[in-house]
Amino acid sequence: MPSALPDSRQVQVLMDAVQAAQTADDLTDAVEDLSACPHPMAIPCLIQVLGFNNPGAAVAAVDGLVAIGSAAVPAILANLDEYNYGARAWSVRALAGIGDLRGLPLLERALAQDIGPSVRRAAARGMGGLQPHGFTAQQRQELAERILPQLKAACGDEEWIVRYAVAVGLESMEHWWRPPAAQRQRLLDTLEPLADPQREAVPVVWLRARLALNHLAAPSPVTRA
Amino acid sequence: MEPAVGSFFLLFSMSQGTPLNEAQALDWLRQLEDPGQRYYAAWWLGRMRSHHPEAAPLLIQALAERGPRPDPASGIDEPNPIARNAARALGKLADSRATDPLLEALESSDDGLREAAARSLGQLGAIKARRPMLRRLAPGPLVAGAPRPGTSRLMEPCEALLEALGALGWQEEDGSTVTDREPLLAVVRAYADHERPLIRSAACRSLLQLTQEDGWGEQLVHLLQHNELQVRRAALLDLGATGWRLAGTAIARTLAENSLKLIALRGLVENSPARNQASPSPSPEEVELLLAMDDLL
Repeated sequence: MPSALPDSRQVQVLMDAVQAAQTADDLTDAVEDLSACPHPMAIPCLIQVLGFNNPGAAVAAVDGLVAIGSAAVPAILANLDEYNYGARAWSVRALAGIGDLRGLPLLERALAQDIGPSVRRAAARGMGGLQPHGFTAQQRQELAERILPQLKAACGDEEWIVRYAVAVGLESMEHWWRPPAAQRQRLLDTLEPLADPQREAVPVVWLRARLALNHLAAPSPVTRA
Repeated sequence: MEPAVGSFFLLFSMSQGTPLNEAQALDWLRQLEDPGQRYYAAWWLGRMRSHHPEAAPLLIQALAERGPRPDPASGIDEPNPIARNAARALGKLADSRATDPLLEALESSDDGLREAAARSLGQLGAIKARRPMLRRLAPGPLVAGAPRPGTSRLMEPCEALLEALGALGWQEEDGSTVTDREPLLAVVRAYADHERPLIRSAACRSLLQLTQEDGWGEQLVHLLQHNELQVRRAALLDLGATGWRLAGTAIARTLAENSLKLIALRGLVENSPARNQASPSPSPEEVELLLAMDDLL
């Protein structure tokens, strides 16, 4: 998060530039500028960009929404566009990046049902990377009980990149779950088939799962920037 | 880059209702009444990498089929569509019986069929194909690489031929390696200055694979900044095919879809000569690439 919020006049100028953009490149540049000043005022504008069918601008808008964080979640959920597949995919990516629990039902549905591998991969990463602030050990355990079977089921996804994202998601569950030893073993057991070249056909997937196992086995938990 | 055939899948599965299984695909390829079904079945068997013993023989039969461009209303917009799809599928089945029929297809007057055959021969690692492919490219970028009048294509399918030569490497049929490399390199190098950036990208990819000289990788990295998205995409996939790991950072920063960048980074991990096949754990260099992939999920 930035040390101080940009002032609202500045944000308004940047939003005006987004509205005024005439070309795809101009739009991307304008959204990048707006996203560099993450301010709750910009939320509706950034959400609108998700529906523009402009990948460059959408990537920037997702970055902006993720930087704004939890404040953006209600608006993202309220504005899900059931008829615009692309926009929905970007919304899932934003929710996955934010890690707010209110987005979990949508991530779960996306992982289990979405036809787009890019959406399922974002959901898998997002479900592992939740940030359940203020949860008790028991609440964290309950959340893990809910998520672990779903990521385990997604180990059988036909797309390599989804299985890759599941390995990343399982590894990052450890950060918030902080499981006691017996539970930790369940995490390792779930990763094991993905890390086994006999059972996982794609080398980059088993290498990533092996890296996750190495991290989880390390004496002190490895934290990533 | 391989042509996108997936759009036909949607079209056909919509018109046919239910998805195919392997037995049905073989039936569709066996029958002769409905060319649309044959076309789709050939694609399906390749896409699913069918191991059925009848798949390759039926596809080899289909490879010999010639026919005019069908009615565009059928959703198929290429001449000899069944033969072309059969050629594409044979590259994915890893059945060496396909080599000689594909070499024959490489001599077809249909440059689209030659293109499909060249790609598949490269995928099959068909060393016998090196000489005929080199012969196709030898007239140089101003002849073999000249625009085909009235089309957006070139006289020869240069991109596919260049990529296949890179994939074949230097091995000879008797297990030895080619010692006199300069004649082949000279032919390929000429295409690194072709006016079309996609051809330059294919030539650099091939030269990087054949020489391991960093200069060709640097030229591919330069193409990652090209102002056309199509060129940036091709350079991403070409770098992935070479496994040239110095490109990792540049790939992560390229303005293109994350999905393609992930495929390219996967290629750097899996295709690099530095990859230690025996190691179950990633090397420190590979860890860097994996973490770059994590950020793109």
